[in-house]
Amino acid sequence: MPMVRFDGVSKRYPSGKEALSKVNFELERGEFAFLTGHSGAGKSTLLKLMLQMERPSKGHVYVDDDCVDTMKGSQVPYLRRKVGVVFQNHQLLFDRTVYDNVAMPLLIAGYQPAEAARRVRAALDSVGLLGYERRNPIELSGGEQQRVGIARAVVNKPQLLLADEPTGNLDPELSEEIMKLFLRFQQVGVTVLIATHDIALIERMGHRRLILEQGTLHERGAYART
Amino acid sequence: MPAPDKTDRKARTGGASAHTIRLQDRLSAWAQQHQLVAVETLMRLLTRPFGSIMTWLVIAISLTLPGAMWMTLDNLSQLSNRFQASGSMSVYLQPAVADKDAQQLLNQILGTSGVAGANYISAEQALAEFRATSGLGEALDLLPENPLPGVIVVEPELSLPQAEVIALADSLRSERRIDSVELDTAWLDRLHALLALSERIVWVMGALLALGILLVVGNTIRLSIAARVDEIRVTKLVGATNAWVRRPFLYTGLWFGMIGGLVSWILLAVGWALVSGPVADLATLYGSEYRLLPLSAGAALVLLLGAMLLGWLGAWWSVVRHLHQIEP
Repeated sequence: MPMVRFDGVSKRYPSGKEALSKVNFELERGEFAFLTGHSGAGKSTLLKLMLQMERPSKGHVYVDDDCVDTMKGSQVPYLRRKVGVVFQNHQLLFDRTVYDNVAMPLLIAGYQPAEAARRVRAALDSVGLLGYERRNPIELSGGEQQRVGIARAVVNKPQLLLADEPTGNLDPELSEEIMKLFLRFQQVGVTVLIATHDIALIERMGHRRLILEQGTLHERGAYART
Repeated sequence: MPAPDKTDRKARTGGASAHTIRLQDRLSAWAQQHQLVAVETLMRLLTRPFGSIMTWLVIAISLTLPGAMWMTLDNLSQLSNRFQASGSMSVYLQPAVADKDAQQLLNQILGTSGVAGANYISAEQALAEFRATSGLGEALDLLPENPLPGVIVVEPELSLPQAEVIALADSLRSERRIDSVELDTAWLDRLHALLALSERIVWVMGALLALGILLVVGNTIRLSIAARVDEIRVTKLVGATNAWVRRPFLYTGLWFGMIGGLVSWILLAVGWALVSGPVADLATLYGSEYRLLPLSAGAALVLLLGAMLLGWLGAWWSVVRHLHQIEP
């Protein structure tokens, strides 16, 4: 069974703008793929559909065999716990430490504090930020903040990791490091989908590419599957 | 094409196998989380009181008003119970009844069981008394005849229960020569009626002030929700249930109520301390042992728990109205 399946998905906003039209694709478990397209092509909308941050006007979205768009509101939190998300603006909270930011999904999921502490350290270690626990995210550089965001996205060991322009504000070297980080999560079995318009980077890295052009999805085969 | 990074710092995440949490752990984590949120929200209020001190005071005052009235009524009804036994009655005779008949009636009444004493005041005596006390002497001279009836004042035995006093009055009313019987306990009935009315007014006022508390807490919680929109978005995004998001706000409402209730206790205690001395002095002057009672422990507890419930409800009302508008 695929991890993600879009079945004839269209999304029309109340303004009349059609963000997506008849999108079909599948992501196998453990697959790594890029989602590209110009800004406004519908990349963010497509990601949001997988978290029920938006609902499709037509068609169905399946994540881990559950139909997301017909899911009851009370089930949505449990869907979101299975999916890690990284945003361009990283959505960190500056009124608390790096540790508290990363630990948040664990506390919500009901982990014991000791177990949560162990996992937070592991997650921070995996993004190379061990020792940053007591810092405030606001003191960190853009790249470091993005890595805190990634640590928070993976701390609960999600099956699916989504990233929306995770390298949007970073220079090419940092961007490549972040991408390598995502690859490492794929290597341990996480399904990864990264939305980006950084074509040069994607060309260098290979992998499957889903291309959105004015709401329609095209696919370009992988240069090199890992 | 760069090969995937395979350094020793291999990611420790991934693999769905470690994803299940035992139910027992889940429950204890849930209880721990409640405890954590309860303590955290209380500390937040106590360490930074300036933002919410107005809310506490509004709640406290809204509670103190009905609390003080309640205390007053409680005292009045205690006091009124002491008067229960004294119930003399005035028996008004028909105008045509002559003094001789009246004397006979008096003896008859004195012979009735349950009567401790009786005293006849003739129409002439009554008129003389009225003339002396009312200052309407000249006006009374203009009247063709004495408008006042003769009266027999009957003192029932002190031990006589209220019901038998009333029965005695009824039996006197049926006597042909008697026009009407007025129980002097009527004023007591009126006092009781007045107390019942006041109690009703306290409830109505209490209800209005409770509504005020709901609005004040609701508004304060609304502001604190607005201040934490980002946090709510992020928590929902990483899988917080609505209950999880609501929890800190509901506890905050509960604490608002509790602190307001405690402050109101203090205000009521201070009020009692200020008034009880003069009341005791006044009672002593009337030869009474009466002392003003403070708010009873039961009433104080009801006040505190009621305040906490109101705070919680106010928070709930606000949270239900505003939280669903905040979605990631």
